[in-house]
Amino acid sequence: MTTEPKIIGFLCNWCSYRGADGAGMARLKYPPNIKIIRVPCSGRVSPELVLRTFREGADGVMVLGCHIGDCHYSTGNHRTAKRMPLLKKLLEYTGIDSERLYINWVSAAEGEKFASVIRDFTEKISTLPPFRETMK
Amino acid sequence: MTDRLTSLREAIEAVLPNVDGVLALRIGPGGISASHLFSKEHPEDLAKLALWPKEPVPDTLKIILRAHPDAKLAIVCRGCEERGIVEMFKHAQLNLDNVTLIGLQCEQAEAEFCRCAKPFTVHSKTTVGQSIKGVPDPVTEKIAAMSQPERLAFWKQEFEHCIKCYGCRTICPQCFCNVCTLEDEKWVETGRLPMANPSMYHLIRAMHMTAKCVACRECEETCPADIPLAVQFRLMARDVKELFNYEAGAVMDQKPPQLLVLEEGDYERSGLPH
Amino acid sequence: MKTKNGSRTEVQEKIGVYVCHCGSNIAGTVDVADVARWAAHLPGVVVSRDYKFMCSSPGQELIGKDIKELGLTRVVVASCSPHLHEATFRGACERAGLNPYLFEMANIREQDSWVTSDKAEATKKAKALVAAAVSRVAHQQPLEALLVPIDANVLVVGGGIAGIQAALEIADSGNHVYLVEREPSIGGHMAQFDKTFPTLDCSACILTPKMVSAGNHKNITLLTWSEVEKVEGYVGNFTVTIRKKARFVDEALCTGCGVCQEKCPKKVIDDVFEAGLGYRKAIYTPFPQAVPNYPVIDHDNCTYFQKGTCKACEKFCATGAIKFDQVDEILTVKVGNIILATGYDLFDARKVSNYGYARLPNVFTSLEMERLTNASGPTGGKIVLRDGVTQPKSVGIIHCVGSRDRNYNNYCSVICCMQSLKFAHLVHERTGATVYNFYIDIRTPFKAYDEFYQKVLEEGTLFVRGKVAEVTDAARLPSEEGRLIIQAEDTLAGKQRRIPVDMVILSSALEARADSKEVAQKFGISCSADQWFIEKHPKLDPVATMTDGVFIAGTCTGPKDIPASVAQGAAAAARVLSIIGQGQIQIEAATAIVNEETCVGCQQCIASCPYQAIVYREDKGKAYVNEALCKGCGTCVGSCLPKCISLKHFTDEQLVAEMIGAMHTMKEFELIPMEVAA
Repeated sequence: MTTEPKIIGFLCNWCSYRGADGAGMARLKYPPNIKIIRVPCSGRVSPELVLRTFREGADGVMVLGCHIGDCHYSTGNHRTAKRMPLLKKLLEYTGIDSERLYINWVSAAEGEKFASVIRDFTEKISTLPPFRETMK
Repeated sequence: MTDRLTSLREAIEAVLPNVDGVLALRIGPGGISASHLFSKEHPEDLAKLALWPKEPVPDTLKIILRAHPDAKLAIVCRGCEERGIVEMFKHAQLNLDNVTLIGLQCEQAEAEFCRCAKPFTVHSKTTVGQSIKGVPDPVTEKIAAMSQPERLAFWKQEFEHCIKCYGCRTICPQCFCNVCTLEDEKWVETGRLPMANPSMYHLIRAMHMTAKCVACRECEETCPADIPLAVQFRLMARDVKELFNYEAGAVMDQKPPQLLVLEEGDYERSGLPH
Repeated sequence: MKTKNGSRTEVQEKIGVYVCHCGSNIAGTVDVADVARWAAHLPGVVVSRDYKFMCSSPGQELIGKDIKELGLTRVVVASCSPHLHEATFRGACERAGLNPYLFEMANIREQDSWVTSDKAEATKKAKALVAAAVSRVAHQQPLEALLVPIDANVLVVGGGIAGIQAALEIADSGNHVYLVEREPSIGGHMAQFDKTFPTLDCSACILTPKMVSAGNHKNITLLTWSEVEKVEGYVGNFTVTIRKKARFVDEALCTGCGVCQEKCPKKVIDDVFEAGLGYRKAIYTPFPQAVPNYPVIDHDNCTYFQKGTCKACEKFCATGAIKFDQVDEILTVKVGNIILATGYDLFDARKVSNYGYARLPNVFTSLEMERLTNASGPTGGKIVLRDGVTQPKSVGIIHCVGSRDRNYNNYCSVICCMQSLKFAHLVHERTGATVYNFYIDIRTPFKAYDEFYQKVLEEGTLFVRGKVAEVTDAARLPSEEGRLIIQAEDTLAGKQRRIPVDMVILSSALEARADSKEVAQKFGISCSADQWFIEKHPKLDPVATMTDGVFIAGTCTGPKDIPASVAQGAAAAARVLSIIGQGQIQIEAATAIVNEETCVGCQQCIASCPYQAIVYREDKGKAYVNEALCKGCGTCVGSCLPKCISLKHFTDEQLVAEMIGAMHTMKEFELIPMEVAA
């Protein structure tokens, strides 16, 4: 169990970040653990960036982008959809719980979905031991 | 029936008059084999033609072609090396217009040594030796069957032996970058052995090898710590095949899947939410 | 600040931090004064303040004053979402002489004070977000937005009413337009219609003058029977390759007299203009008022092309305009802006097999009905059954065929209600038949639309609220023999109904063009899941796209009626004219850049770029980013293994610094070093 899981979310500027803004405007409450980093497109998130975030001790990493077909960069999130499942597999093969890396699509209109996704993920990560400890 | 070495020598002799040189292995002092450019000017070199221990020849091909882009060359390659050449071609590291491939089929013992699923060539027009079926990879199977904590413990122990010599990276025919992410302190920390767990070095390298590793096992052969490095790459290759129907080195004009737009079915298989 | 090994972290920058109260929006939950006090100790921070409203003039002046007086080199504002006020604060920095890209925002309102209940937690999170921004801003680099000149010529793709309107607006302003149309004539779907709702003006009568103006305009180059093959370049400087398909008619010689069409012996079913109800010749203009009035020879149906003899058209042509040896012409034009008005396709009603279209002869689509009611249509405007003579005594009109239906399209096709009401009126007026409308909801929102609905109600048209289950010719009762029976649940009466009719009209959905995905790709814009082109903003920027210089108008963005299409055509033209008026345009400064020294030329970035903004330089064996084409998505960065390509303003250093800033604050809650490199 992690009492205060540390979560970093990489959110695309056009859909998910605005979705997060939407959650704020609707005053939807969610745990404060997540710290959001804005990227232009979820396709910008390289596996190295995710891995470095784990290395810094993150207990969970989220990559949220536009829904497939709605990417503001046309097909930027297609790269995410191909790259990130592979990274999850790699974590699994290394013995790391692949649920620590979470990929989903949240549109600018989905403030409610954003809040619930954050709640669920924070809860899930809280049930796991702190990442750093599992690596000792 | 002539043996493979003789057949290979004959095949090279047949090609030699039409090319500037043939890249193959030559046995040196102490039984060490190394890539050598056999030429019609020095036919006597062929006496030292070697098959084993295998050494990655594609890299040498790249170096020669960089210096002499117009050279007409032939290269003797095993299945893995042929796949390596194809991947290098796809990544614009080689121009194959003037390159003739001579395929060398592996024997049972060689395939078993490499735990190779595809010990045969598919693109080479000229081939030497009998093509055999792939063999199982018990090491990969064993690790695949482990539970998550077992796997974590296993890799932790293995990577603790890593002395970060970069040998696996250096020998890899698919590591052709001018600068290496693994040497960038932003991604891989330095000055600490054993490396912190999880090993960024090995995770990043495995990610870079995804859809690129041609299963030649040169990294494992090179590793002074005997880490079964190829296992992660092979597990990833299975997923790449399953998720995106891509096999490194299999088809000349198939683009690597991490870059392409999603095709019908890709998304469903990737297990991502809708 | 102490680092791990005890030495001090050197941060050269002078950073100013401003924590906004946003009235009580932030200050009500976050202890802003505490955040500001705490932030003063972050590396590089020389001033840290909190203020009631940072976005107000005094707030902005505060930043400007500090930049000038304290020599700030970096600014962080912790307030609302950057989508709201990033531009505001960048402007404040710029006015004070600081490059706007040296500013960073921490979103402590939408992502903190508004979503966190606990005050202590919210304050803690605000500190982490501020630390992340401070850590990031130190790594930010000044950027200069690139200015490119604008070519005043414009390409309009699609010669329907939206495209015509856009072309005319631009041409009238004195700028040149290339109007490209795939079919032999401009006019689009509107040319096929009979009456337009709700005023019942004759569609051709209001459209033809516009077509003629477009055809004659000195500033419009009309390229019909042509398609765009390739688009290169970027806003202000597009190079467009257009294939002008062989017409086999010399436009310079043809007078449009029509004798060739008269003499051509080959009759072909016209499935484009006449929706399959009428015929045309193998050499044809789609309709008498076609613009331009030159015919085309339909290669696949021409007797000469297929069998080698005939040439009747050539024999009778007085000016010798028939040219059997004509080939496709490839034109290259340079334009600064592009307007896409490529229209829609009608939903294929055969897909709803239970409605029997193409199986039951007297089931018609809405487009067929338009042609049937049209005075210049195949029946001269007589509403008759498929046999060509019988007038229907009763007609059923089914709404929402392929729309608002999870099996086909979820969306409402907007025009079908009014179109169905129009048909009801016309059928009633011309045949006196009993008309049934089967609807889910009646949607008549715009000017004089509902009045029209009332009128149709008064005329005695019957309305059944319910989705039709089936149209069948299998009679159960003697009165149903030989007729089409519409089975539907009347949801208002709560009863199943079987209504026998002579004719069924399917108000089919509007769908995105079958090739809209390819077209979108060609022009570098995006399609929604339904394949409609996506607007830059659905409300505030409905005719622009994410690709600068490419605008969209009319039904290619989604179903809409004629007034809305015309308005969008004009709106797109206005947007284009404003860009032309500027003479030059600023383009995204946060673009990708290749480190030529280290690039290994593997071209993975090129394959990953959604905009073809990266090219491979054969001579150098390196990739190269065309900054004018790059939209700054950074997918190339994610694809480059040795990280030889980076995205300005979203570099690895900046993102890692931001992440570390947030992480370390979270972890120990007191600062440890923020070195990007380990």
